Amino acid sequence: MVVKIRLARFGRKNSPFYNIVVAHARTARNNKPLEVIGTYDPVPKPDPYDESGRLHKDIKLDSLGIMEPKYRNTEPRTPPVLPREALPQQN
Amino acid sequence: MPPLIPTLPPAASSIIRTSAGTARCVAQLPQQVPIAASFSTTASRPKFSKARRLFRAWERMEGRIYRRPTGDGPQYLAPRGVETVDRPFPLNPHFKSTKVLDDRAREMIWEKIMRGGETIKAVSAEFGIDIRRVAAVVRLKEVEKDWIAKDKPLAKPYAKAVLSMLPKHFIKPNVSNPPFEPINELHVHPYTMQQIFWPTSESRHFTREDAAKAFHPTLLSADKRVPHPELVQMEREVHQGRLLWDASERFKQNVMESERKAAEKQVAKAAYEEKKTTRINTERFEFRFKQFNAENVGLRGRSRNAVGWRYGTPHDDRSKGHQIKIPTSVP
Amino acid sequence: MKPRRFHGLKRPLTSINTRTHNLPVSVFTSSTARSNSADTVADKRFRALQKLRQSWNKYNLYNIFKAVNPKIGLGTTQTFFQQKWRAKGMLRTYHGEHIVERKWERMFNRRLLSVIDMDTESMAKMDGSEMAAGRGSGIDQRLRPGDKRTSRTLTPYMQMTFAPMERRLDIAVFRAMFASSARQARQFCVHGAVKVNGKVVPYPAYRLNPGDMFQVDPERVLYATGLPKLPPSDSNQPSSHAGENEATEEAVEKEAEAISEEESEVLAAKAEQDPDTTDAPEAAPVNMKPTRTQIQDLTAQAKAILSEEPLSLDLGVGRDDKASSEEAAPSDPIAGLTDSELKKLEERMEEHMREEKENPHDPSKPYVTPWRPRNYMAPFAFIPQYLEVNQNICSAVYLRHPVARKGNAEVPTPYPYETSQLAFNWYLRRR
Repeated sequence: MVVKIRLARFGRKNSPFYNIVVAHARTARNNKPLEVIGTYDPVPKPDPYDESGRLHKDIKLDSLGIMEPKYRNTEPRTPPVLPREALPQQN
Repeated sequence: MPPLIPTLPPAASSIIRTSAGTARCVAQLPQQVPIAASFSTTASRPKFSKARRLFRAWERMEGRIYRRPTGDGPQYLAPRGVETVDRPFPLNPHFKSTKVLDDRAREMIWEKIMRGGETIKAVSAEFGIDIRRVAAVVRLKEVEKDWIAKDKPLAKPYAKAVLSMLPKHFIKPNVSNPPFEPINELHVHPYTMQQIFWPTSESRHFTREDAAKAFHPTLLSADKRVPHPELVQMEREVHQGRLLWDASERFKQNVMESERKAAEKQVAKAAYEEKKTTRINTERFEFRFKQFNAENVGLRGRSRNAVGWRYGTPHDDRSKGHQIKIPTSVP
Repeated sequence: MKPRRFHGLKRPLTSINTRTHNLPVSVFTSSTARSNSADTVADKRFRALQKLRQSWNKYNLYNIFKAVNPKIGLGTTQTFFQQKWRAKGMLRTYHGEHIVERKWERMFNRRLLSVIDMDTESMAKMDGSEMAAGRGSGIDQRLRPGDKRTSRTLTPYMQMTFAPMERRLDIAVFRAMFASSARQARQFCVHGAVKVNGKVVPYPAYRLNPGDMFQVDPERVLYATGLPKLPPSDSNQPSSHAGENEATEEAVEKEAEAISEEESEVLAAKAEQDPDTTDAPEAAPVNMKPTRTQIQDLTAQAKAILSEEPLSLDLGVGRDDKASSEEAAPSDPIAGLTDSELKKLEERMEEHMREEKENPHDPSKPYVTPWRPRNYMAPFAFIPQYLEVNQNICSAVYLRHPVARKGNAEVPTPYPYETSQLAFNWYLRRR
């Protein structure tokens, strides 16, 4: 399955806020992703007590985490074969 | 039909109301005056109630002294026979109106810190004013100076009037002044409010340090929690035989050092934050990328401090009582 | 409609007609319907009903003056629940009566803050082991009766019951003496006249954090704490019957005012405003006007001359002219004055100018100008220790949360310790 880095919209009506997520490409936008690797606030804000009127946007990102080996290989991974006893019991 | 009430003839002349339907009433019962207004069914009484009469009497006699300020200090209500100077509420002896700093005193504090370059802790120890208050005085004075520079009108008449009504504390320059308030106050930590049975040997030298450990392993001792540990150190040195001027010089150096350390800490914190952020300037906005570790999400992945909108945790902003978001702090 | 209270009156006789209509309208009674014994009984009840408010109102002052210790639970047959209920009701009339109970219950905290003054000298001398000496509670000392340590002053923790309320922005604005009542302070917040750390905070329920600076628009503060301006007397002409009726009541009140004014000759001499702010005409400016205009003229002249000649001998002469005209004294300005006198006049002149500049006569303001503090303000004037106020800029810093220490608590409350204790127990929710 293809894994993508994409945005998942949160926040409220007229006040968007995005999680930067790593998710399977075929899952829905706001489904639980493989991992949350950051946030993106698209609403530009001024610094407190800054008179210049310059705005900024905040992005939090685990840029080191993206480089982790688990995402390097985007090919479909086969789930590890576990003995039957190790699997969670389904009742 | 409106209610009918018997009234006295002299009052009737001023109270008769006219409205639809009343004419008939009056015709039927000329000695009774109907009261039928659409909004108010009662007319105000043209005479004083007892309470009002008593109030007027008080206003004329005892209350007259409170009407205009005398201009030389506070005038609080005095319960009968008790001479009180600092109790605004006669029934509550536990609340006292404390002194406030005079305008000249504030100016002097500002001078010492902003012009003289003294530390806040040193000024606090010198005049016996709480550290936080000294800082606040300087902060407010700075704003005042800014207003004067910008030619913004100050509320001078108000300040003069209010300060004349309050008990004031004056600071005389170049002499030792009585302290304004206790400066070395220790917050009573909830850990220390329990009674503990703590068996030790009688010969044990059980100090404040040990007491703190007995209350809680992480609780710091009183010596470390007081706002003026340097002042205690100075007293200790004086007690050990060091000369006062020497000890006070050392105290000043110590507080300077501690303030420098605190400032350095802040600078280091800001530098660390800056190190973690990457700024990318575009024409319209500056994008600030902040580095963080996505693994810190707590045991169940729902830690409150974790970055990002959490999954599976309901937000209570739709629940009752949360419609208006009141900020918990203003930066 | 709210039923009318019959202060000091028996419920008056009513005709059968009224009874059937079931309306509480009967307030007119003949004076014979009242009896003196009923007065005293009702008076006691009336006094017990008085509610103390966070307000600088003169009626409130009277109520605080007249308030007697409620003595809840003493010599009564009330249950503990009833005592607590009554106590919390009384306290809530003072502490944020405009805040609904549910919100206050959320704010309430059973942890009461307190501090202990640690004497630096004794801390330096001893390391605390003396407290644990002997059997663990310090070596017994025979203390003399005059010794300070023998007197056990209590820390009035229970008076801290409403400490979380003092964190609210509107209450803090009132405590800093920027508004004449908590409700007015609330209005200032809602109308955007209050800033916290330089930002407008329109939430009266904002809870201040230690170190927060709040500012109120000085114009509003002057309005709130100054003598109120009254509408011109011709505006309240009776236009309707209701108006006419009000007029009659006002006439009665005015009469009383007149009596009180006559008695107070000091006030009459000052030509001040009538004490009852609801019905008295403004008298002050009439007396003040000539001097005001004079001073304004003089300031204008002085400014003109000062701008013409920066520093010379002529300046002194010119000023002297003005000063003498102000004094309306000698015909020859220079001859009759020595240098020291000249200087004095100059100083006085400057003082007048400064006063005029600081506190000008300005009819456009919503308060009486030149500004004067409102009546009955002084007995309410106190600033609690957890605030540091700069009156010049109408700003204050919330230093810390209010605390209790030995002998005093920082929360201003008009009720005694026992009442607060009962209220605290009520809010513990173990009733």
